[in-house]
This record gives sequence, structure tokens and C-alpha cells, in this order.
Amino acid sequence: MKALAKRFARDRIAVTGLAILGLLALAAILAPVLAPYPEDVATFHIERRLLPPSAEALMGTDRMGGDIFSRLLFGARATLTLTTVAVGAALLIGVPIGLIAGYYRNWASDALMRVSDVFLAVPQIVMAIAIGQTLGSSAENVILALSLTYWPFWARLVFAETRSMRNEIFVESAVALGASAWRVMVLHILPNIASAIIVRTAIGMGATMLTAATLGFLGLGVPPPAPEWGRMIAESRQYLPDAWWYSLAPGAAIFLTVLGFNLLGDGLRDILNARIRRRR
Amino acid sequence: MSWLALVANRLFWFVPTLLGLLTIVFILSRVVPVDPAVLMAGENASAEQAQRIREQFGLDQPLIAQFVDYLHDTIRGDLGRSLYTQQPILTDLAARLPATLELAFAASLVALLIGVTLGILAGLHRDTLLDHVLGIATISCMAVAPFWMAMEFQSLFSMDLGWLPLSGRVQGFPPAQVTGFIFLDALITADAGALWSALQHILLPTLTLALPAAATMARFTRNGVIAAMSSPSVDYQMAMGLPRRVIIWKYVLRMAIMATVTQFGLTFAILLTGVVVVETIFDWPGLGSYAINSILQSDYNAVMGFTLCTGVMLITVNLLVDILQAAIDPRGSA
Amino acid sequence: MPALLDIAGLSVGFRTENGLAQVLDKVGLTIEPGEVVGLVGESGCGKSTLARAILGTLPKDRVQAPGGRITLDGVDMLADHGAARALRGTAVTFVPQNPFASFNPLFRVGTQIADLMRGRADHDAVVAMLDAVHLPQPRAILPKYPHQLSGGQRQRLMIALALLPRPRLIVADEPTTALDVTIQAQILGLLRRLALERGVAVLFTTHDLGAAWDICDRVMVMYAGQVAEVAQRETFFGGPRHPYARMLLASLPEPGREAAAIPGDLPDPLAPPPGCRFNPRCPRSTAICTHGAPPLAEVGTGHAVACHHPWPANG
Repeated sequence: MKALAKRFARDRIAVTGLAILGLLALAAILAPVLAPYPEDVATFHIERRLLPPSAEALMGTDRMGGDIFSRLLFGARATLTLTTVAVGAALLIGVPIGLIAGYYRNWASDALMRVSDVFLAVPQIVMAIAIGQTLGSSAENVILALSLTYWPFWARLVFAETRSMRNEIFVESAVALGASAWRVMVLHILPNIASAIIVRTAIGMGATMLTAATLGFLGLGVPPPAPEWGRMIAESRQYLPDAWWYSLAPGAAIFLTVLGFNLLGDGLRDILNARIRRRR
Repeated sequence: MSWLALVANRLFWFVPTLLGLLTIVFILSRVVPVDPAVLMAGENASAEQAQRIREQFGLDQPLIAQFVDYLHDTIRGDLGRSLYTQQPILTDLAARLPATLELAFAASLVALLIGVTLGILAGLHRDTLLDHVLGIATISCMAVAPFWMAMEFQSLFSMDLGWLPLSGRVQGFPPAQVTGFIFLDALITADAGALWSALQHILLPTLTLALPAAATMARFTRNGVIAAMSSPSVDYQMAMGLPRRVIIWKYVLRMAIMATVTQFGLTFAILLTGVVVVETIFDWPGLGSYAINSILQSDYNAVMGFTLCTGVMLITVNLLVDILQAAIDPRGSA
Repeated sequence: MPALLDIAGLSVGFRTENGLAQVLDKVGLTIEPGEVVGLVGESGCGKSTLARAILGTLPKDRVQAPGGRITLDGVDMLADHGAARALRGTAVTFVPQNPFASFNPLFRVGTQIADLMRGRADHDAVVAMLDAVHLPQPRAILPKYPHQLSGGQRQRLMIALALLPRPRLIVADEPTTALDVTIQAQILGLLRRLALERGVAVLFTTHDLGAAWDICDRVMVMYAGQVAEVAQRETFFGGPRHPYARMLLASLPEPGREAAAIPGDLPDPLAPPPGCRFNPRCPRSTAICTHGAPPLAEVGTGHAVACHHPWPANG
């Protein structure tokens, strides 16, 4: 573990990613404290609408007069929570399914994977739109749409890895020694595919965040007046190009967050791959 | 397995996958919180009118019966009627398809050209400044929200600088409809003005759509080149004195491109993901904007039709890519 | 007659993330035209690195400027990159360890042969050579793809390709390790016979002493990047003088005797033992062995040992 941490510290890419994310998480958690106008999450000041960035409003104000910087900070909470829960749910559903399907070699496993394939046949955003539109816009429905369209990806990934691990000697010997299916799956197979899962999770967080923001942009996300980065960009659309700050701030926020996740994922991949190579 | 066996296998699974997709779409369309009969009858309809519609459309039948009817209808091409346009949805989709295909094709081309070229450059000059710069560029392109990039491009190039048109496919009247593909039609009817206008209009949407895909392609190609360069066959060729020029441009290139072709299915999926928002922002009259309009109108059937259409497109492209890859790889399906 | 290959004081280090790995330490070797020399050692002793150094294909990004000199047919292979490149594939050729992966899977065998020969061998010469290595139906092989040939067939092809440009030296890096035991001897015998017929010298690396006995004129034993002993075949197998070489010979299974493993582990190339790198495992080591690596000293005609306390002759 210590060696891993040391390697991590030396990988500038991963550290940069982690730093960005750390700052963002901090900003999200401390939003009530950091935001100069925390009440702008819900209240309106029409007289202050569409003002360019200034000392009073660091990133300008939006069409309702709300301070964009404050709304951005609170939006970070919404976005990060939403994404984390959605990805977590997708993992909780997809990984066990993939493990079980990969471990057992029968028609049920193949059938399960065919079902996953069907979900994967449609781009995630399209399916999420279909679900979101059907159920209506709310935070819960966004999470539902995102996790329902994401779990098949994990199931497929874990299935493929488990299947290839299944033939390894250490698994066969564990089975021969009488280890129960659960033990083999959780204690033997899972640790070995953990690094692949971890790397994809980091990158997946970024991708899910983009999908969530797109849903928000299309009006299928968290309903107003709660701040949501995607929807803020949609609102800004009719005021371009004059109110340039209105779209720049949330857009940059999304960019930085996803970049952070991507960098982290890339860095983790370099570190964990090197580790696997050395072990082999 | 042999090429024929592979093709047969893929085709065999084509139908069940399609069936599964239909099932999911059907389930979604019936999970609607609002009573579809009431929706179709209109806001001020009476209970009797709603009931009549319910019977007319078979909405009071048991779910299985409805599903069978749904399958039956879909195979016949009847995807229902759009609440908004009052046209059969299939007609709507068919009318909108050329625009999306044109855009997707243009974006694929650009993504391939830019992505593969940059990927090869990065792979051959690994760990140099160029490689690092390209790495940052690609990872940034993949971190940008496509709809935001589209908006900012539009704001900058159309509104601020006025270099490119704001939206739509063409200025004024489109060329006479022959194929529905404006570029082909303009060429067929020798309409130079329309051709030029169409070119200007397709530039920004194509760029916006292509950049994330190009970034992904560049990464894959780079990895392919690096893997090829460190393969034992390249090692042998270098030891035997084969000129570096020949090794790279004949042997490594082929291996890297093979790896890229394999990933084209993924690239197309990325394009389909972006097409929805890009069409919306640029008012591109394709499937994506149709879907968004349908959402805003609560036109559930239309959205389902769009989902189905997209699914079919993606499954088909994946199928074609698999077949193509098996055909050009001498090892069969490696 | 000047030696075909003359290596003197060759030291090669690789940059790794944990430091500098001294893979070769002042290695010296000469090969006369037409002789078959076996380079014997365990995995990690540096024999593959030596082979690459001779060919001039050390990975430039990871290798530190090598010390010493490699002269092949009068060309300085380390310093003169242009001349070295001209020799590769013409005066010196290569037989790789892995015949399975050494061909590009996407191109036909005939195409790759033509590219590798670069006009030095015409179609008839190629077919004749494929015949000489006992490949059945040579003309039918050319349009095939590599995956359509078996491992043994591919290795025969590699030998053919190594002989076609009429080289003066063939460097074969563990050419039979990846092959079935049943055909290993066949391939080795083929290589030796064809090389001798054409007066081509062969440097052949292996971890298998038995293979060295089968086909080599001279044997050189390496340990952890240092040369231990060099001798004519009969002299060497009659009684090696270096403690490591002797223990290596004793570790071969023989009827009536237990195979004796060498106790201890290979040294870490990042932190090799001072002086003679075998000294921690050597039963004859003393203080002087840790002070300086023993020079390769002649102890008989064509017989040299690098040891402060070699076993006496016929001991």
C-alpha cells in the first residue's frame, strides 16, 4: 500500500487530477460557507439580472439576478452527489451480475449478457432521455436513468474479466480445494479485477457527469430553481453572445471536473498497470 | 472462426438483440405516468372520449396482448402517430434521417482523418513535447461538454465573428429533392450556390461533433502504434536491418489502423451521443432535434420511435464493423 | 586472420525507475570466422542484451551510453550507427527466440521475405533456401500468412532468412526455447550444418548446456552480466575451472547422479555484489573476490577463466 501511495505521488497526472477533484469536493462541501450569496439558490433579485463579473459578483449574475458563483458552488453539490450515487448504484448492480455471470458457465449467464448487450445497443444519453422523459424530471429520476443505463457496461466488463480469470490456475485450485462460489468470487477473482474496475470508475465518473449535465441541459434534470450546471448553460443560451460569463462559468466548471476525473483515471491506469506488469 | 461463420453468428444475434431493444422501448412507453389515452384525447376531453381512444388503440388490453400488437405494428413499419406533426412517426423519421446521416458521415470522416493522423504522430514521437501536447489536447476535448462546446463555437464563430451561419442546413431554398442528402442533391442538380451554402452550414456542427470522437480515435491509434512499435515483429525487422521508413509506414501503420477499425463502433456511439445536442443547438433538422422537440411536446411515441431508430443504427454499424474487421484481418476474427 | 567479432570491455546499463541496472559488466568476446560459439547462462545473465548490443538494437531511450567496444568485420557497432545499420540484415543476421510473434500477422510471408531481403536474394534463391531448411513445398509457403504455419516451420523460415543474405555472422537468441522439445535438436542441428556449409559464424545464446554441447565449437559462460569462462567444447565439458561453470555442469541431470542445484539467488542488477558477482554463492570465495572483478585470464589455449580461485585443471 505504501509503495502504491509513493508511486501515486510521483505520477504528476494522477496527482493533478486528484488535486482538482479535491478542490472541487471541498468547494462543494463548504458551499454554504464559501458562497457570498447562499440565498441565491432559491431567491431572485430581478434588479441585479445579467450583470457582468465584478467585485460583488465574481462570475456575474444570471437571468434571475442570482450570483452565478454561489449557484455554481451549490450546483457542485448537486452534480457530484448525483454522479456519485448513480455510478455507485451502477457498480452495485453491474459488478455482482458480471461476477456471477462470468463464474457460472451456463445458458443463464449468456442470457444475462445478451440483456446487457441490448441496453448497450443504444447510446447512454438516448436511453437516459427516454427514461427521463417518461418518468419526469427530478434528481431521483436522473439517478435512476443514469444507473439503469450504466450497469450493463460494468456487467459486461466484469463478465469478460471474470471469464478469463476463471481459467487461471489459482482459481481452479481454490475450487478444487472446496472453496464455495462466493469465496472464490469475492476473495480470489474480485481483488484481481479491482484495478481495472477502479480505473474505469474514475473515467466513468467523468462520462456520467457529462451525461447528467446533458440531461440537465435538455431540461430533464433537477428542476428549477435548484442550481444545476447543465441547466444553467441552457438558460444562458438566449443571452449569448452578450452575457458571455453566463455560459462560461458553468461550462468551465463541468470541464474542470471531468478533466479531473479523466486525469485521475489516466494516472491510476499507469500506476496500476505497472504494478500488474511487475507482479507478472 | 472463419469469416462466414462470424458473419452468420452476428446476423443470428441481430434479431434477438433487436427484439430485446423493442421490449425495453415498449416497457418504457407503458411506464408513462400520464395516461396515454388522456394525452391523445386532449386536455379538455371527457372520460368517454378517453375511453373510446383507449379502446381504439387497444390500450385496455392486457399488456402481453399490447406487446404482441406492438411488435406486429413495428414490423409492419407502424410506429404510431406523432402527436405534434400528426404524421406517422416512421414518415417523420425517414424524412429526418438524411440530415443526421449527412452530419454523422461528415463527422466520422473528420474524426478519422484528424484522430488517426494525430494518433500516429503521437505514437511515433512518444514522450516528446508533441506527444504531451497532443495528450493534453485529447484529454481536454474529452472533458468538454459537447453541448457547451457547440454553444461557445456558435457564439464565437457565428454571432461574434460572423464567419459562419448560425443554424440550419442551407441558406434560402435547398436544391431540388432527389435523395434527401443536400450535398448529393446539389451535385446532381449542379446547384453551386446551394453546395457552397451547405458546406458553410455543416462546418460548425461537424467540428463540434467530431472533436470528442477525434480525441478518442487519437488515443486509440496512439496506443495501437506504440503497441506495434514494441511488438516482436518490429523488433525482428529492426534487427534484420529493414529500413525504419518501411517498418513504420508499411508494417506498423497497418497494425495500428487495424486496431483503430476495431474501435470504430465505439466512435460511432460517441457520435450518436453528441448528435442529439448538436442538432438542437444548430437547428439541424435531423433525428436529434426531432427527439428534443418530441420531448418538449411530451410526444412519447415519437421519442420511442427515435430510441428504436438510434438503436437500430448503432447495432447495424457494430455489425458492419465486426464483419469488415474480420474480412480485412487475415487471421479471421483475431 | 583478424577476428570476425571482437568485443572488449563492454558495459551496458539500463535506466529503470528504481535506478541504474548494470546488465553487462566489462564483457569481452571474440569470434573467428566460421565458428559456432555458444553463450550459456541463466535468464537475466545478460546474454540477450549482449546479442542486441552486437546487432546494435539496444533500446536507445533506456540504455545509458555503453562503455567498451564492439567491432564486427572492422565496423565499430557502438559508435558508427550508419555503418552498423548497413551491416544489419546483410553481414550480420538474427534468429529470434519467438518465431510465433516475429512475423507481422497482416502480411503474406512472401511479401515479408522480399522486404527483408531488400534485393539481396532473388525468387529462386529464396525457394532454394526454403528447400535447404526442409520446408515442404517452398513455393506454396510464400503466399501464405504467418498464422498458417506451425512454430517449427516458422523457425526454419527464420533460419532460412538468416542465411539468405550470405552473412558472416548469425546471432541466434535462444532460437529453440519456444519450440517443442522434440524438434529443438532438429532445428539446432539444421542451423549448425547449414552455417558450416556456408562458412557462417554463429553466436548462439542459450540457458541449456546440453544444446551448447550439441552444436558449439566453443562455449562461453556468463553470470549476472560478467564473463565466467570461455573454452573449447571438449575442454569445457571435460572440466570447467570456474566454480559457477562447474556447478552449472553438475546441475545437469545424469544417470547415476542426483542433479545438484546451485544454492542462493541471482543478484539484483540494481545492486550487484562488489567484485566478482558470483562471490556470495561461491564456495571458494575469499576477501579478494569482493574487491575487484577478476580479469579474464588465459589458462590454456583458447581457454580463459575470470576467477581469483579457479578449480585446478582436471580437478
